[in-house]
Amino acid sequence: MGCCVVDKEAELKSLMLRGLDGDPVAWRALLSAMRGALTPFFKRRLIGHEADAEDLVQDCLIAIHAKRATYDRSLPFTAWAYAIARYKLIDHFRRLGRRHDVPLEEASVLLAEHTVEDGVVRRDLTKVLSILPLRQRRLVEDVRIGGFSLAEAAARNGFTEGAAKVSVHRSMKTLVASVKPDED
Amino acid sequence: MKTEDLIDALAAGLEPARPARPNAALLAGAGLAAVTAVALLLGVRPDLTQALQAPTPWLKGLYTAALTTSAIWLATRLGRPGVDARPAALALISVVAVAALWGAVEMSLTPPDARMAGWLGQTWTICGRNIVLVSAFAAPLVFLSTRRLAPTRPTAAGLALGVATGGIAATAYGLLHCGEATAAFVATWYTLGVAAAGLIGAVIGRFTLRW
Repeated sequence: MGCCVVDKEAELKSLMLRGLDGDPVAWRALLSAMRGALTPFFKRRLIGHEADAEDLVQDCLIAIHAKRATYDRSLPFTAWAYAIARYKLIDHFRRLGRRHDVPLEEASVLLAEHTVEDGVVRRDLTKVLSILPLRQRRLVEDVRIGGFSLAEAAARNGFTEGAAKVSVHRSMKTLVASVKPDED
Repeated sequence: MKTEDLIDALAAGLEPARPARPNAALLAGAGLAAVTAVALLLGVRPDLTQALQAPTPWLKGLYTAALTTSAIWLATRLGRPGVDARPAALALISVVAVAALWGAVEMSLTPPDARMAGWLGQTWTICGRNIVLVSAFAAPLVFLSTRRLAPTRPTAAGLALGVATGGIAATAYGLLHCGEATAAFVATWYTLGVAAAGLIGAVIGRFTLRW
């Protein structure tokens, strides 16, 4: 999953740079990709008010468009887009008159959730993970999906940090091998 | 409007975008507004030409100009989503720290019985109030100058813009009107005036800098 986020960032950033230079095709592609990333991002944070997500996505796309000149070309695109999405979410809660804390997360959640949120992917993921022994499985889930740091996940599952690192690495190898039977 | 249509509409009207910066013309206008406010409301000191030949007013101006510059840098960084604003905040704090240190050293070299007089000067009771008064005239232009930016923390950005406004006002006030000459006076009363402008700016920013 880590590699996909990196690829996604590179792809979005190149679209952003072309958009800043005035390329409407790239800009359309970027806004569509952001729509795909923002929809699950907002839905997940508006539990019980999912209907507002569509409005927030539109609001956010307009902000990305109107404020594109504030993007610094030397910095990651995802960090910029995440800061805008988080701001729009906070502003939304404020408008509703609710004091609501929006924790500052890794900017990559904007991209990561896009892949995990999808129901089909989620079901596949559960199936794939089920080949691991329970303890290893929980560890992998905590680190790779739950967003825990390696140290936290190790403590939760009764590993030392070193052992957890080795275990996650081996588990990932096993998982990759299990979903790519045709290769090698 | 359907999101699909919105995306089409936005992409159709796309134009190349240059990096957003604070508008320099509006900032220059804010400086002009501050000079005008000092001249009309407080009056220019009668010995101006003579006074400006000494280094003291320029040193005061250097401090308040440094405050202004670092505050505008801070507002600019706060106005770019995802950018770390801490280096600019550190620069602003450092400027104040240098002035405070200078004032403290100066006071330690002053004979004890002259310290209070040097620190309070003739105008300590009105200095901060005058800076805030002049700031009121420069503030609209300073706040407008960053309209293209996108501060994700409006209160913090308002604070930075308020400090920038106070810095501009204090520069005009220090050069054209105020005759106080000790570093301790400037480091205390000018700083308090600029800080007050910053706090007012934070409140204004909270409501006006949303986008």
